[in-house]
This record gives sequence, structure tokens and C-alpha cells, in this order.
Amino acid sequence: MDCHNQEEHSRPQEEEDIMDIPLDDPEANRAAAKIQAGFRGHMTRKKMKPEDKAEGEERQEDRGQ
Amino acid sequence: MAPKKDPRAPIKKAEPAAAPAAAPAPAPAPAPAPKARPVDLSAVKAFGLFDRVGDNKVAYNQIADIMRALGQNPTNKDVNKLLGSPSAEEMANKRVTFEGFLPMLQTIINSPNKAGYEDYVEGLRVFDKEGNGTVMGAELRIVLSTLGEKLNEAEIDALMAGQEDENGCINYEAFVKHIMSV
Repeated sequence: MDCHNQEEHSRPQEEEDIMDIPLDDPEANRAAAKIQAGFRGHMTRKKMKPEDKAEGEERQEDRGQ
Repeated sequence: MAPKKDPRAPIKKAEPAAAPAAAPAPAPAPAPAPKARPVDLSAVKAFGLFDRVGDNKVAYNQIADIMRALGQNPTNKDVNKLLGSPSAEEMANKRVTFEGFLPMLQTIINSPNKAGYEDYVEGLRVFDKEGNGTVMGAELRIVLSTLGEKLNEAEIDALMAGQEDENGCINYEAFVKHIMSV
């Protein structure tokens, strides 16, 4: 994945950060998974909110993303 | 000493079966279990919202989202375990009734390691290079898309919308509060 070729903006920091990401660290992965779970929960609830009021009225698009 | 009837001794005739002990007042409801928030009612509602087929069932691959709609934050791994590590085909095609779903929901509700505010903040603090309460939005994007249960780009965009300041930094304590407000 040539990340450094994709962006025209000079973001050298991002390259460093890529090196820094502890891809194999089980604890970092576990922490990330917990955070992601919280985020997914939040996003689902946010998406549900207008539907709650409309009681399914707004179910025009499939939520099968 | 004429024998006199003792007026105090009640003459016990056959009493009609009036229940002396039980008061006619309505019995008070048993003390509600603190963790029994009205999940069941909203669970029924949420479950119904997700049933697109009309067979009073939902697909395996909807279970996690119904739980999230009900305020839980299961990892996909948690849910897969509950479902018995289904194949992709089963995830899409196997369906479960509300009765089947409820104990799964209960397991998640009762799970001991639920993350709270502190956990999220601590988790994000790991990426706070300068220890100043902020993380780079760009770095967070990378972490969320490469570690753990990767988020896709659309999810990350939705999540981060409006969260980065003009320097591309995110105050993660505020971020977590925002996340937890829904």
C-alpha cells in the first residue's frame, strides 16, 4: 500500500505514524477493538435516532451497508 | 357467683372465610432489579425495526446492530462467539427469533468487561504522543482502520465529522464524551 504516493499533501508525519502503529501488539489491538466497539455503538444509535421519531418512515435506504 | 357469660370471650361462631391477614390493598410491585431497565420493551421494538422480512426474525448479521441500538457496545468478536462462530453464509442467511435473541442480549448486557469513559480515554491516550490531551486526527484514522476491528473509510468519516480542530487535532476527552452522549 503506497500511502506516501497517494497524498499530494506533504504529510510526512503520517509515514512515521504508520511505522509507529503497533500492528502486532495484542494489547493495542484489544484497546483498538474496544474503542471501535464503542464507536460502532455510537454510530448505530446516531443512525437510529431520526428513525426512532419517524418510526421507520425514513427506512428508504437499506441499512445493509 | 352466678355463672355469667364472659362478655370478653368472643363467641366464635363459624366465621365466614374472611381473609384476616391479607389486606385488600393492591400488593406493591416487587422491587425492580436495578439492571432491568425497560430493555425488554425497547428490545421488542428494536427487534421489530430490524425485521425486514416480516417473519419475526432477524438475520445473524443484524444482531450486533440491534444490540448497539439498544445501548450496548459489543465487539464483532463478542457477537460471533455468541452466534457460535458462524460462517459468512450463515451470518447472512441464518435468522433468529426474539426469544433466541434475548439471551444473547442478556449475555452482552451482563458481560464484565464493559468499557466506560475511562477505558476509552485511556485507550486513546496511548496515541497521545505529546501527552497534551490531543491525538492527531490523521493518526486516529490510521489506527481505526488498521488495528483491532477495522473501521472502513465511510465509518471513520462519519465518526470524525467535525471533531478535528484547525490543526487536525482531536481533544479525545471531549471526543469520548461526545461518543458516549448517544
